[in-house]
Amino acid sequence: MLAALRNRFLNLAKSSQSWNHQLGFRGLNQTSSYLSTLTNSSDEGLLNLQEVEKVLSDVKADNVKVIPVGEQCDWTDFMVIATGRSTWHVRNIARALAYKAKQKQKETGAQRLMLPSVQGQETGKWVVVDSGKVIVHALDEKARDYYNLENLWSSGMSHLEPVKVS
Amino acid sequence: MTCSNFLSQQQRTFIQMRTVLKVVDNSGAKKVMCIQALKGKKGARLGDTIVASVKEAMPNGKVKKGKVVYGVVVRAAMQRGRCDGSEVKFDDNAVVLVDKQGQPIGTRVFGPVPHELRKKKHVKILTLAEHIA
Repeated sequence: MLAALRNRFLNLAKSSQSWNHQLGFRGLNQTSSYLSTLTNSSDEGLLNLQEVEKVLSDVKADNVKVIPVGEQCDWTDFMVIATGRSTWHVRNIARALAYKAKQKQKETGAQRLMLPSVQGQETGKWVVVDSGKVIVHALDEKARDYYNLENLWSSGMSHLEPVKVS
Repeated sequence: MTCSNFLSQQQRTFIQMRTVLKVVDNSGAKKVMCIQALKGKKGARLGDTIVASVKEAMPNGKVKKGKVVYGVVVRAAMQRGRCDGSEVKFDDNAVVLVDKQGQPIGTRVFGPVPHELRKKKHVKILTLAEHIA
């Protein structure tokens, strides 16, 4: 969705520039340049793949798998799946990723901090850190077996799973 | 003679109490009836969470008939505006069952799901889905 939003911002910027020639609004020039800087900074502030892998190895997450899903789905490029040994460990992985994003943005000096969104923080079973092109799933062992995300994303999306038995 | 198009089309509305929705994950339930829309005075829309009661279920599944569950609306017949001005609407009302903390009960989601779920913090359902609209 961020990719789609970025495309829309660029289209808006282009169309507003063509309007400028016709209508002669000076003020719109400034807003279109602001839009382009906004999209650029949103790309840099969020994490990319190498940084995610480094953070995961620092935190000692088990069984880290990176799955490139760029062809299969258009809202993200990489899915990273990591296992935590306990609920506290899973939450720690998510906190470490958020901390790294915050550090990175403090270094580049962005105007406002755009942290990656973390979902599932209360239960430590499955925490998702959404940083644009890279989505990190931190699960514990039982949840990893239950949801079986590698199966879903590595072999494509054309299979039907049977009903979950209680 | 020919009625105007506007009058012959139905005006779709919110998902409220007594709305029957289809369940599109493999948690075992087939149909649920909404008993409360958690946010919104008029009802739930695409991407909102509802409280529902299971009306029809598969014989051996994780949820049984009569259980009160939470669900996230993934397809709604009522149109929802997107930020670029377009609107998205589906042919049916469908829901994915979650628990109180927001973890999906099933492991796969069938049918298309819209992008709105990402903004609404339901990325887990998006990862389990097979097709994103």
